[in-house]
Amino acid sequence: MALIELLEVTKTYRKGEHVVTPLANVSLSVDAGEFFVLLGPSGSGKTTLLNLVAAIDRPDRGSIRVGGVELGTASSSKLSDWRAEHVGYVFQQANLVPVLTAYENVELPLFLFGLSAAERHKRVAIALEAVGLADRATHLPKQLSGGQEQRVAIARAIVADPEILVADEPTGNLDHESAESVLDLLSHLHRERKKTVVMVTHDPRAARYGTRRMVLDKGELKEEGTAR
Amino acid sequence: MKLATLVRKNLTRRPMRTALTVLGVASAMLLFVLVESLSAGLERALSGSEAARTLVVYRQNRYCPQTSFLPEWYATRIAKLPGVKSVLPVKVYLNNCRASLDLVAFQGAPAAEMLSTRGIEVIDGDAQRFVREKDSALVGRAFAARKDVEVGESFRFGNIVVKVAGIFASDEPVEEGVILTHLEFLQRAGPVNKLGTVTQFEVKIDDASRAEALSAEIDELFRTAEQPTDTRAKILFLEGATRDLREILGFARILGFACVLVVLVLVANTVLMSVQERVREFGVFRTLGYRASHVAELVVVESLALSLFGGALGLGLAWLVVHFARVSIGSEGVPVQFSTSPKLAVLGFAVAAACGIVAGLVPALRSARAEIVVSLRSA
Repeated sequence: MALIELLEVTKTYRKGEHVVTPLANVSLSVDAGEFFVLLGPSGSGKTTLLNLVAAIDRPDRGSIRVGGVELGTASSSKLSDWRAEHVGYVFQQANLVPVLTAYENVELPLFLFGLSAAERHKRVAIALEAVGLADRATHLPKQLSGGQEQRVAIARAIVADPEILVADEPTGNLDHESAESVLDLLSHLHRERKKTVVMVTHDPRAARYGTRRMVLDKGELKEEGTAR
Repeated sequence: MKLATLVRKNLTRRPMRTALTVLGVASAMLLFVLVESLSAGLERALSGSEAARTLVVYRQNRYCPQTSFLPEWYATRIAKLPGVKSVLPVKVYLNNCRASLDLVAFQGAPAAEMLSTRGIEVIDGDAQRFVREKDSALVGRAFAARKDVEVGESFRFGNIVVKVAGIFASDEPVEEGVILTHLEFLQRAGPVNKLGTVTQFEVKIDDASRAEALSAEIDELFRTAEQPTDTRAKILFLEGATRDLREILGFARILGFACVLVVLVLVANTVLMSVQERVREFGVFRTLGYRASHVAELVVVESLALSLFGGALGLGLAWLVVHFARVSIGSEGVPVQFSTSPKLAVLGFAVAAACGIVAGLVPALRSARAEIVVSLRSA
């Protein structure tokens, strides 16, 4: 059953004097429980598409329905609430708040749910345990390695237990070993926790983790194949 | 982790910048509060309930109390006017005639009459000892506090030496900044021996509404005398005597408001720099599900916290200055104490809070309105 449906979505933006159209009439459907990988060269519109799915950007034309909710026309506050509940976003850089510890960074999304301190503590502990960093809870981001930072970011993305994880080049800034560890973690979350993962990458090795892969090139989506 | 923790951690990202901003706000608030405390002191000085029912008779065209020499016998003639309750001849001796930051004002009058008409209460020492000993004095509690004067010790100023018989409180705030002595003692003790002359008469009247008419009657009584008089209700006299101060204060208030503007600009600049460094971070917050209003709230609270820390420090410093520097500003023998009060503290905090909120509004709106994807692309 389709969890994410994009129908003839077009997105344009201005870059100086020029109008760029990274997505033109793109349609896509991602089923619940898929590990969907979107490949493509730099500037092909992968991140734009991911941002539309994560509801941090709006299409100029077309429809985006996620879990039956039309995202294109929802108000800004409604989209915020929707994101908090349904989407966990993993960026290329970990984007942790530098003055907060790993624990506090992971705790951030939970303040939006009015949970008790005890409940927040329980969930943060589970999330940090899941990414193998329970012993780094009190460390600041600068005291962590790049791979550890990215795993804290994944813990932050899953702590509110969203159905969808979106990842924008999550291994782009990591060495081979850390990249493998992060991809194994995403794969584990997909398999064991039944998360729908939408990952953007230009790295074919990372793409192998997906159950379905598509290539976005010059605004056009092409099926690449199925998972290993 | 609560909002307060996040705000604290954000403010300590750049400890030097935060500290400098807080110090800047504190300095500006110190000046603002000192001006306001002087204003409150002046207001208090002019607020005595008896001021409307008391007339002050001075030498016409006097320059200052030191140049007003009225014959003491005028008291007998003034006392005979209908509507006059009592007449107190007063000799005034000052260290400085114009506006001064260290006013020392002696007032000499017949002791028993002074105690019965001035409405003072001796809170330490012995009033009767003052009546008995001609070289003793009663010291107003504000002056005693300012100069660390205690009962039993001698107080010297120039060639005047008095024994402190008591410390008094008064319903009239200006009274608490002076030293009361016997009339004859002061007539003889000044640099010029002027026995038989006084500086002014304080005339208590039955009906405040007749103050103007009685003033005119008194002046008419001595119109052709060698020492013509100028009589005014005490409130008008106080207003006249403090005119210089009020003019200075009016200008100082402009400086006070400039200080508020400085606080505003200082905090706004710091908050703006802070949010410019965190554009991407706010994009991350929005991606996590925080609403635009949450981001705006965070920025405003940070701005408010900066301003309130500075405000609290400034208020604390102002309190220390007022209570330990012990300065008193006075003009023509009217002492005005810097006055701190809970009301002034509330005003200081309110101004600091308002500055913090206003200063944070523009950065808050800019942060809240930024597009998430644009914020995430920022360096």
